Amino acid sequence: MHGQSFLQLRIGFGFLLCSFSLIAIYPASAEILPPGFCPRAVGVHALVSGKVIVKPGEILDGATVVIRDGYIEAVGKNITTPADARVWDAKGLTIYAGFIESYLPLGQTNLPISTSFSEPIKTSALTAGGVNFLGVPGQRTDPGQSGAGNQVSKIVPETRAVRGYSPDKKVIEPLRELGFTTAVIAPTRGIVRGTSALVALAELDPNEVILKPDVFQHIAFETHEEDENAYPGSLMGTIAVVRQSFFDAQHYSLDQADWQKKPQGRKRPEFDPSLEALQFATEGKQRVLFEPGSALMVDRAAHVARELKLDFAIVSCGQEWRRPDLAKETGAMFIVPVNFPNLPKLPSEEDWEQVTLDNLRAWDWAAENPALLRQQKLDVALTTYSLEDKKLFRKNVKAAVERGLSEEDALAALTTIPAKLCGVEKQLGTIEPGKIANLTIVDGKGYFDPESRVREVWVDGRNYHAQTAKEEAKKDETADKEKEAKAEANKEKKDVELKKLQNKRLARSPMEGRGAITNSNLIMIENTTVWTCGTNGVLRVPELWLKEGKVLYCDTTIRLGWISSNTFRFRGDGLHITPGLIDAHSHAAILGAVNEPTLPSTAMVRVGDVVNSETKNISEELAGGLTTANLLHGSANPIGGQNQIIKLREGASPEGMKFEDAPQGIKFALGENVKQSNWGEKFTTRFPQSRMGVPTFYKNRFTAALQYLNAWSDFKKNGGVPPRRDLELETIAEIIKGKRFIHCHSYRQDEILAFLRVMESFGVRVATLQHVLEGYKIADEIAKHGAGASCFSDWWAYKFEVYDAIPFAGSLMRERGVLVSFNSDSSDLARRMNTEAAKAVKYGSTSEEEALKFVTINAAKQLGLDKRVGSLEPGKDADFVVWSGNPLDSRSVVLQTWIDGKKYFDRDEAVKRAATLKQEREDLIAKAKKLAKLGGGGGDDGGGGNDGSFFRISLEHQFDGIERHCMEGEAH
Amino acid sequence: MIYDLRFTIWARPFLAFAFAVSCTMCFAETLLLTGATVHTVSGATITNGQVLVRDGKIAAVGKSVSGGGAREISLKSQHLYPGLVALNTDLGLVEIDAVRSTVDVREVGEYTPDVFSWLAVNPDSELLPVARANGVSHFEPVPFGAVVSGQSGLLALDGWTTEQMVAKKSIALHVFWPSVNLDAMPKEKSRNPAKWKSLEDQDKERKEKLRQLDDFFAEARAYAKAREGEKSFQIVPAWEAMLPVVHGEIPVTIHADEVRQIRVAISWAVTNGVKMILADALDAWRVADLLAKYKIPVIFNHVFTQPLRGEDGYDAHFRAAGVLTKAGVKVAFSGGGASLVKNMPYAAAQSVAFGLSADEALKGITLYPAQIAGVADRLGSIESGKDGTLFATDGDILDIRSNVKRMWIGGKEVSLENRHTRLYEKYKNRPKSP
Repeated sequence: MHGQSFLQLRIGFGFLLCSFSLIAIYPASAEILPPGFCPRAVGVHALVSGKVIVKPGEILDGATVVIRDGYIEAVGKNITTPADARVWDAKGLTIYAGFIESYLPLGQTNLPISTSFSEPIKTSALTAGGVNFLGVPGQRTDPGQSGAGNQVSKIVPETRAVRGYSPDKKVIEPLRELGFTTAVIAPTRGIVRGTSALVALAELDPNEVILKPDVFQHIAFETHEEDENAYPGSLMGTIAVVRQSFFDAQHYSLDQADWQKKPQGRKRPEFDPSLEALQFATEGKQRVLFEPGSALMVDRAAHVARELKLDFAIVSCGQEWRRPDLAKETGAMFIVPVNFPNLPKLPSEEDWEQVTLDNLRAWDWAAENPALLRQQKLDVALTTYSLEDKKLFRKNVKAAVERGLSEEDALAALTTIPAKLCGVEKQLGTIEPGKIANLTIVDGKGYFDPESRVREVWVDGRNYHAQTAKEEAKKDETADKEKEAKAEANKEKKDVELKKLQNKRLARSPMEGRGAITNSNLIMIENTTVWTCGTNGVLRVPELWLKEGKVLYCDTTIRLGWISSNTFRFRGDGLHITPGLIDAHSHAAILGAVNEPTLPSTAMVRVGDVVNSETKNISEELAGGLTTANLLHGSANPIGGQNQIIKLREGASPEGMKFEDAPQGIKFALGENVKQSNWGEKFTTRFPQSRMGVPTFYKNRFTAALQYLNAWSDFKKNGGVPPRRDLELETIAEIIKGKRFIHCHSYRQDEILAFLRVMESFGVRVATLQHVLEGYKIADEIAKHGAGASCFSDWWAYKFEVYDAIPFAGSLMRERGVLVSFNSDSSDLARRMNTEAAKAVKYGSTSEEEALKFVTINAAKQLGLDKRVGSLEPGKDADFVVWSGNPLDSRSVVLQTWIDGKKYFDRDEAVKRAATLKQEREDLIAKAKKLAKLGGGGGDDGGGGNDGSFFRISLEHQFDGIERHCMEGEAH
Repeated sequence: MIYDLRFTIWARPFLAFAFAVSCTMCFAETLLLTGATVHTVSGATITNGQVLVRDGKIAAVGKSVSGGGAREISLKSQHLYPGLVALNTDLGLVEIDAVRSTVDVREVGEYTPDVFSWLAVNPDSELLPVARANGVSHFEPVPFGAVVSGQSGLLALDGWTTEQMVAKKSIALHVFWPSVNLDAMPKEKSRNPAKWKSLEDQDKERKEKLRQLDDFFAEARAYAKAREGEKSFQIVPAWEAMLPVVHGEIPVTIHADEVRQIRVAISWAVTNGVKMILADALDAWRVADLLAKYKIPVIFNHVFTQPLRGEDGYDAHFRAAGVLTKAGVKVAFSGGGASLVKNMPYAAAQSVAFGLSADEALKGITLYPAQIAGVADRLGSIESGKDGTLFATDGDILDIRSNVKRMWIGGKEVSLENRHTRLYEKYKNRPKSP
């Protein structure tokens, strides 16, 4: 036993070191308290004749558990009760290993972080003022905290929950009444939040109750602002900050080591308690617990964790049912809350109009989420986290069990899994000799019958008897027994009906009805008109062949001999086929805010971290023939975030939507937005505030990036400590090296020229000028520089810098040799890029063939994708659209949209799908109404839970039906 | 050659100028427009038809009309349409959205029936000629606001002053229907917890709003009645402005999007005997039968609004006008935002792609809005007796690729030049940069 203890000592270092030394120095038997104190109990107990659940699935009926000095000495059926033991009769009771609450944030807020209520587009998130800049010596950007610390105020890994912890009876007693004996006390503030502590739920000396002081490092993808000016102000910014923090910690450790070795003749490194505190997690020695806040961010958390080589687990948002595939892929342990939405009590029947299908799905799926995660073969721990009324815990666990979580799994989720998760499986989680004597004892039918009381718990070998529940009011003896019985029978009948209704899920998976419709490797379309957008122009094609996701033949030759039984064929008489349309400027599938507006340069943030594969925008744009979109950061700052080009493979994961090997890019912006002209009176202090300052700013950052490159090449030559990896400068350096495309939002001719010249001075060619409203005034200069122009077709006059915008711009620039595309910058326009292109015909008489190129091959060229997409030529991706007529005629409709040789949109299918969804919504409303009548429907009794939980809008669908563009909440 | 060149450069703008001056000072000349496909809208389309315009009015339409002494204008292979009528827009009231000093679209207060939009139109707004260049001859600037926001007029896109531009004052009183949406955000999540209200309280509040509106109209009727009986009457401008509404002389344009709002608004209008027009009308297609039953015309503003619900289908709003029309509702397309009123025909065109007939679509931008504005005796179709307000194009007006070639308002030709064409000409002719 002792040898084993030593082993344990190395594994669970903090905690065992403590208990072991106590045993060594103060043998329990010799512990005599000074006079005046109540003497210590002997501490030996025998619980006899109970039903002992040794571990999930292993049950001993009529067994005995012997406790000595706070640990379990013996357990079994034929145990002799030790002579010194106090004997407890456990007949009729079920004895479980003490439950572990694996996530207990003790703080001002106990609400889930993100997938929550509609988060309005924050004006404050657009509002950073002050001469903000990270990493400027002598300037702490975040005045939010005093003393040494990270420059980002939400990075506080040095916070230790253990430091502030004092047992509070008001908190821990209700938890014990739910059967919990230990809990992971988690820090609550910030993004990188600090470490949690595993504590015994006992009102004792804090030193005594700490089982393990630093269990996890906590990271939450938190976007609620504390200080509206502070970076980060967006979800993508949050992820960028996490990434940078870990790189900083890696560098910090190298730099400090170097300094320890030779403290002379080198610059002294700064002290940073936050980076110091991150060391364990950085080296994979401390598990990192991510709270991603939404189903999609679960996937992102896992990617970030793997990228940073972290040992990680995940706090579920309760909505993994949206994408169980992504949860499965993480392979992580999940801590799962059981806060289920409550049916609202609506003032009027008509108000059901306001209830969305997604609201209803979230409500109907909720209780099934834990079971669903188990079905993905994931380890699940259950938590009371985010339950406002923790008393609902058992009822909701029961609901989860009724929805398919086995009782065995549910028990494991409270015992063995959290023990494993916290790395204390040798001390907690089962009733086995040598383990800590934490027990949860329930009468009646056991824990998973919410009617059965948790009678007592044992914590560290001490008994905590539950407060006797208030005796039920004695029934009036004189009451009409018959009536009572009838009422009882009625209630029972109602309950049965209610349960039956509750337990049958009507909501479908959001995955249903999405994704490729066809599955054929060889496709042939007969007798059709093809706008190749290549050298062949518009062709009458007798046979358009597509094979393995690529264009095989697109010419006038007849190859009928090729047809085999597995060729998917259809006739294209009277139809027109074009390449899939390409939108060079989109924000339509970005999760959370489009802008990280707090700093003037946010080159470190990546749209690729927040691709929203779930938004309804994707299916709507597919229905308009769009197949590729350049997802760009907004235009709130001169140097915005990194872009992400996607293909609209609806139903794919965020990673699966990314355009493979597309050139990386970045959003830049000039003009009114970056100088905060229309942000309100408060915003007058961030640099730049004028068009004079914008080029100054670029010159500064590009020079800094050059120096950064030099620092690295010096290091490569001379060795030593590598320079700090700076994700902002690294990104700008990639531009200088020609490895990253600039997509620059630009308006006025003067600012465009100034910008081109600064870039030229660094040897950089600008890939695209976005919007480029006055580009027509300097078309020659743009052509000479070689930048593409990605314009609006005809937007103008919404702000002063577009007063000179003209719809002829595209045609005029094209005539003068500029590579022109039309973009949407709008999730609405992205549905009809073909008619946008038609405006080039109307204004400036661009030919139809050339006009269509504005939304196909020209956009592809601008994005560096023309080898893959943009025209229908052999070898290129089989991304194409089938139109009912001429694509430039607004009276034509898209019949089919294909990507990689697979059909993703079919007009007839779309109609059917809508009908299915409509039926689902009606069925769910019927269920909800019936449940409300019966008095059930979610976590709460009786419906009528107007806590708003029902109306939560998930992050994934926050912007559905809302047009998305560059400056949300502002002018464009 | 030299002479020709000088003529081209100098005489053109001069002529355009002289034209504009002369036309407001004297009668328009008599014109015979020949050779075009005449889309009469109200009747059959006449290929290679003729339209005689005399004294600013259409004097005759047909395959061949006698135009004794008229100047013939050949519009061979072109199409002739009546001027487009753009209702429900802020054109004329705003120059640049982001520049506050140029924005006159909204007043303060919930009950301001005596706010009149046509008084605040800037005749020299650069946005007006842009709309006109695509065939829009008339527009309705709407006073935006809360509840009873004021009255709109119909203006021609021609004239030196607002008084010359006004085709009809006070075509409608505007009511922006109070929101019925419940805010289900729980208190602790609310941005302003002090202002948070329970669903029950919100329900009370929205009912109270409706009661207030009822009350306002009842008071207006009471005022009208009292005014008739009393000789020495204390005039109240706001109540005075309500008189034509009370007397049923002008309709009430109710701006409402959400289906619950629309239902309540209809029942309110029916109860109060108000002549209702539904504007904006996002969810109108969901209550098409109800609208048809009460013969309430719709000014639809949401062809290009993304659907709120996936189950409505990706094309819900593309189809909406067709659904409404099929049910028997008269649908006009909204002029929309000031800078892009020119695109009004393409909202109609999109609806054609999704089920609306091309005829109805064309009516939705000509005759129906003219009827809704109460000016169908003068505008909206090419008929004898109506204003000589028409334009010629090189293709179907519903097709983006078509261009307006010439245009007449009240029988006189108007310029199609605008800020866009001027800048285009200027920079097209910029010498090649070395």
